[in-house]
Amino acid sequence: MGLRWFHFALWGGLIVGMLLLPQVVSNGTLRTMIFANYLAIFAISWDVLSGRTGYVSFGHPFLIGIGAYTTAILTKRFDVPVEISIPVAVLFTMIAGLLVLLPALRIRGSYFALVTLAFMELLYQLVQVIRPDLTGGTRGMSGIQTLTRGAANGYYLSTTLMLTIAVSMWLLMKTRLGTALSAIGMNEESVRGSGLSTTRLKAFAFLTSAMIAGLGGAFYVHYLGSLAPRALFDINFLFTIIVAALLGGTSTIIGPMIGAFFMTFLLEYLRPVLPGAERYFVYGAIALLLYMYQPKGLVELVRRGFKSLNKGRTA
Amino acid sequence: MSTALQVSNLVKRFGGLVATNNLSFSLKEGESLGLIGPNGAGKTTVFSQIMGELRQNSGTIELFGDEISTLSTPQRIRAGVSRTYQIPRPFGEMSVAENIRVGLMPDNIWQMIVSPPDTRRERELALSVGFLKADLGRMPTELAMGDLRKLEMARTMATAPKVMLLDEVFAGLTTGEIAQISDLIQSMRKDGMTFLIVSHDLPALEPLIDRAIAIERGTMIAEGTFSEVMNDKAVQASYLGGV
Ligand SMILES: Nc1ncnc2c1ncn2[C@@H]1O[C@H](COP(=O)(O)OP(=O)(O)OP(=O)(O)O)[C@@H](O)[C@H]1O
Ligand SMILES: [Mg+2]
Repeated sequence: MGLRWFHFALWGGLIVGMLLLPQVVSNGTLRTMIFANYLAIFAISWDVLSGRTGYVSFGHPFLIGIGAYTTAILTKRFDVPVEISIPVAVLFTMIAGLLVLLPALRIRGSYFALVTLAFMELLYQLVQVIRPDLTGGTRGMSGIQTLTRGAANGYYLSTTLMLTIAVSMWLLMKTRLGTALSAIGMNEESVRGSGLSTTRLKAFAFLTSAMIAGLGGAFYVHYLGSLAPRALFDINFLFTIIVAALLGGTSTIIGPMIGAFFMTFLLEYLRPVLPGAERYFVYGAIALLLYMYQPKGLVELVRRGFKSLNKGRTA
Repeated sequence: MSTALQVSNLVKRFGGLVATNNLSFSLKEGESLGLIGPNGAGKTTVFSQIMGELRQNSGTIELFGDEISTLSTPQRIRAGVSRTYQIPRPFGEMSVAENIRVGLMPDNIWQMIVSPPDTRRERELALSVGFLKADLGRMPTELAMGDLRKLEMARTMATAPKVMLLDEVFAGLTTGEIAQISDLIQSMRKDGMTFLIVSHDLPALEPLIDRAIAIERGTMIAEGTFSEVMNDKAVQASYLGGV
């Protein structure tokens, strides 16, 4: 559980490796990596709440959408600088999430998932009817300010953001707070029976999750430069996030990251072979297979690999 | 000595079933009270109401003179009462040490983040209930029932209660383990801990309590010293009827 030197060595290696990558790979690969970075941010956000506490959120596109729409509208319609609009977007995401989803934290299991799913759909309907002059209605928005030019810069920005979030969440989850949140996922009653207010803990997990989703959503929209509601509030997008977290291994931070990269590149390589939505079947099948044979996810396979390497060295 | 726990006119109904029937009893500070009764008598239900996991239909529960019925379970634990569960409910994917860690945590998110776990206290608690150092890293799936009960006991002690409610702590334990837990309870009694103990193992229970009450179908049928209660006609009838 504790912090070990090799944890920091691994993070250090990962950071250096990722920052050197633009020297060796093509711009096309970098663009794919950018998407992987954002997916990793969303998957970490989902994991902090759902992977830990077992409250499965189907509403993360809702949170990401609030972050993305807020900064898009502020910058494009009101000429607010991004230095202000992004923090405001994050704050909005947290508030909106708190207002609508917190009551849902009192219900358990599939109902929680359903309620959160309903919010995603609701927001999709709302952006079309409420002030379409601001939201762009069904068509969405384009010509949103971008923060970087060129693949390499976009890659550096998204990598920095993703790694900052990943390392800080990893450190946070290494504390007793992480233990308490995991305990909720295992037996919420026993956590209360140990004297901890689970509502407060869940609210904290939720706010943290919403903060990351808002941050990711805001930066993502300023990378894309456009916003399409049907792509954002989409069940496939939702499942991509969840499968990335599950596939990589929940409650680990590094797991959702691995899962996100795996999924993004898999989808990318499948694109020429399976151009349509059939691709989603393929990764559904892969997720299912992995889940049956290694429910702890890819991260567990990597860990075992390391272990056997170690054994080989000492033997 | 002042009253630690005072239960007055407690009533709990499950539909037509009266699980607690106008029950009143009190526990002085440092006292140990046995709560006996046949299967389904309503012993666990009384615990759940004291802890706020079940809400009584009527009656009051006072802890050190304060009515606690409106408090949440974590608030009651902070007020100084804690229980073990008849069916142990460990955190399945956490080691023995981490299970105890959850009990030791302050109910304060900031403190959880900034101050590290007290691993020395975790070890102390684990050893005091009879675990070995090597057990600290073991997972609940590797533990026998006896170990799970010990873990339940340690996690409850970790919340630093002044009043402990023990629900069948001896069930599934070996004679050696029973002796160990009994010694632990005795030494805590010496230090002034207040106990309410439910046990079907009457020979093990007898030396641990100052007084006993017997209930049947939620109703108190006898009260007094252990032998007074055991010699009570109603108690004998209920136990014979129950077996
Ligand atoms: N949540 C519940 N809903 C309905 N009935 C319940 C509930 N909990 C307990 N009961 C019933 O209340 C009665 C008392 O149960 P309780 O578990 O308190 O008995 P007990 O004395 O602890 O028994 P045991 O010695 O078997 O542990 C039983 O008839 C039980 O079936
Ligand atoms: Mg019981």
